[in-house]
Amino acid sequence: MGVVLPVRHQVPLPDTLIQAVPPSPEAIELDVLIVGAGPAGLACAIQLAKTSPDLAIGVLEKAGSLGEHSLSGAVINPVALRALFPDKRDDEFPFRQSVSGEAVYFMTESGSSRIPTPPTMKNHGNFTVSLCELVRWLGLQAETLGINIFPGFPAESLLVDGQRVIGVRTVTGGLDRGRNPTDMFQEPTDLVAKVVVLAEGTRGPLAQAWRDWQKVGSENPQIFALGVKEVWDVAKPLDRVIHTMGWPLPRDAFGGSWCYPMGPNQISIGLVVGLDYHDAGLDVHESLQRLKLHPLFRPLLEGGTMVEWGAKTIPEGGYYAIPSRLSGDGLMMIGDTAGFVDVPSLKGIHYAMESGMLASATIATALGNQGTGDAQSLAAYDRAVRESRIVRDMHRTRNMRLAFKDGFVGGAMKAGLMTLTGGAFPGGRIDMPADAAAPREMQPRQPFVPDNVLTFSKVDAVFKAGNATRDTIPSHLIVGQDISGDVADFYAHLCPAGVYERDGDTLRVNPPNCVDCKATDVVGPRWTPREGGSGPKYRLM
Amino acid sequence: MKIAVCLRRVPDTTAKIVIGASGSSIDEAGIKFVPNPYDEYAVEAAIALKEQAGAGETVVVGLGGDTVQETLRTALAMGVDRAVHLQGAPSADGLENARVLADHLRGGGYDAILFGKLAVDDYGQQTGAMVAELLELPCATAITKLVVADGRASVEREVEGGVEPASCALPAVFTCDKGLNNPRLPSLKGIMAAKKKPLEITPVTVAAGGVTIVSLALPPERAAGRIVGEGAAAVPALMQLLTAEAKVI
Repeated sequence: MGVVLPVRHQVPLPDTLIQAVPPSPEAIELDVLIVGAGPAGLACAIQLAKTSPDLAIGVLEKAGSLGEHSLSGAVINPVALRALFPDKRDDEFPFRQSVSGEAVYFMTESGSSRIPTPPTMKNHGNFTVSLCELVRWLGLQAETLGINIFPGFPAESLLVDGQRVIGVRTVTGGLDRGRNPTDMFQEPTDLVAKVVVLAEGTRGPLAQAWRDWQKVGSENPQIFALGVKEVWDVAKPLDRVIHTMGWPLPRDAFGGSWCYPMGPNQISIGLVVGLDYHDAGLDVHESLQRLKLHPLFRPLLEGGTMVEWGAKTIPEGGYYAIPSRLSGDGLMMIGDTAGFVDVPSLKGIHYAMESGMLASATIATALGNQGTGDAQSLAAYDRAVRESRIVRDMHRTRNMRLAFKDGFVGGAMKAGLMTLTGGAFPGGRIDMPADAAAPREMQPRQPFVPDNVLTFSKVDAVFKAGNATRDTIPSHLIVGQDISGDVADFYAHLCPAGVYERDGDTLRVNPPNCVDCKATDVVGPRWTPREGGSGPKYRLM
Repeated sequence: MKIAVCLRRVPDTTAKIVIGASGSSIDEAGIKFVPNPYDEYAVEAAIALKEQAGAGETVVVGLGGDTVQETLRTALAMGVDRAVHLQGAPSADGLENARVLADHLRGGGYDAILFGKLAVDDYGQQTGAMVAELLELPCATAITKLVVADGRASVEREVEGGVEPASCALPAVFTCDKGLNNPRLPSLKGIMAAKKKPLEITPVTVAAGGVTIVSLALPPERAAGRIVGEGAAAVPALMQLLTAEAKVI
């Protein structure tokens, strides 16, 4: 078995993501176009519609219906919802329940010991939610404000004129595998706007392309984790929020699991692993299956039913991976696209919403008085974010995730010192390579056979994601050249949805299985936007 | 041509159905609702007929609670000109729903009234034909072809082992089957235009009628498949199971 260096097999982003062409004369004209109807994009749209009711606002969403591509744990800090809807009470928000207790465990293969809850992980006053439900609810609020929401219309490229972003072109629909039109053919639509707000979520292709084009770097490259999640109907309510560290992850991988109560008869359980892991055979989906059989979790699940499954990456680079610029001529980045996730507290949703609201304030000012949305006027957003809770919180924990790059034990000690010193220890910035630059080597492993009761194969899991992507869709994944058997193995274990399989010494790709988690876009084949409504149809994630 | 389409809102066919606490209706929480797929053939046919005629009006009519407006907007986004929401709770008795629809459609001057051949949730298959009867109009059900010329409609129906052509004078009622057309997807422009198209709300009262749903039950879960072996060697075992266990040979 050889060493796999993922970056060596990765192709650059396709140059079609930026189109320096005039928009179609039939283009839809808007003031503000938001790409992505997640918590960031919808919070931006809602706040903007409230403060500037005369602006024409549109939101593009690649999922067939709102929320169907949204996934999070999730325990949410309610501050952003309260700020966005000052007239609403907490019981009007689509929370599942308030956090009534919490416990953190360090796991070994056969046991677990409760450890003190790290201060960053305390969740008193927070609520568990299904992000799908929250997004659907935000969508209803946005609709009543007259915002145009377009589910099922993914953005394929940014339309640019000189250095300025002037709009977006949607994906062509109804093509066969050879990209020939079928009788379901749907031609792309151009949308032009004074400001395009990228709220694509984790590892957005347009944001990557724009940053490459505009040479917008960051002190450290953005790094990612992959989370795999299941929702279970259970007989007995769970009385606390659970987090674990340790087994089933190897000591040189960063990550952990969660189990959250979702009301009286539902729980969510999931496992998150940093994509800089070293074992080429590490498989997050399979590790979650093993985890469910552990004595800590098995009793919670036995007699229950797995009702939904999903996977998604999380930007984990923190403060030092924030782009050096968050805006430019005609463009802004908000939410996960900009990397606003605080890993030590496991929070991103309220930062995403707050960044959307800050962007809306800048847009309202920039477009007032016949403004055009030029780079100078939109730079007020960069300043607002730097002075906000988002960057303040992320700065306090700036080196915590990075401290774990060489293993768990040393990382945990360093993180403890960082908490005590409010982030001042160790001083400076821990340098972090991109995930794709971390070499991988296959470690010996035990085969795992799912029992179809508590544990499931990837094929069954993808079915539970509601994925009904058309089989004849053109491939949206760009695989590099010279993929050896070892690399194929690495991809097969990496992808939680069974898109990649090793077949002898070659790689077989099943693009319709893809659930848009973007894991391979980080360390393997590139992900590009595909026909609207493809991918998962999450209802509970 | 003036064409009406009656549209139902149904649970997505892939939705996981849970019986509600009453035992006689489904739990709608968290379920995604879509336009009834057969009604989409009717919407497409109406838009195409008007396009072909070069003039006229298409109207989509929906009976139900306020959520039906979302479904009506989908039809408007596809290209229908205006919508009517008959606001009221539908009955379990198809005849009572048909009466309310017929009362609204009567005197509307429609050349054609289109339905889906059935709604995929309750499989009632009654409303279209009942509305035709109440309006004393000819009716062709489950059509897979519709051609209009000189005030007459020629249709085709798929019947056991063949095709049944038929024709009638307009105005008439048609219920539409799969194969009639490929319903168009709403375009971005269509979705934006739909927001500005008229959607008239008319409160209605639907009588209870003579049908009561006693209870609903989910079909039994299908047993998991079994692989008995591979290749020719597995044939005897398979034959044995098909005759002795499945009793299909």
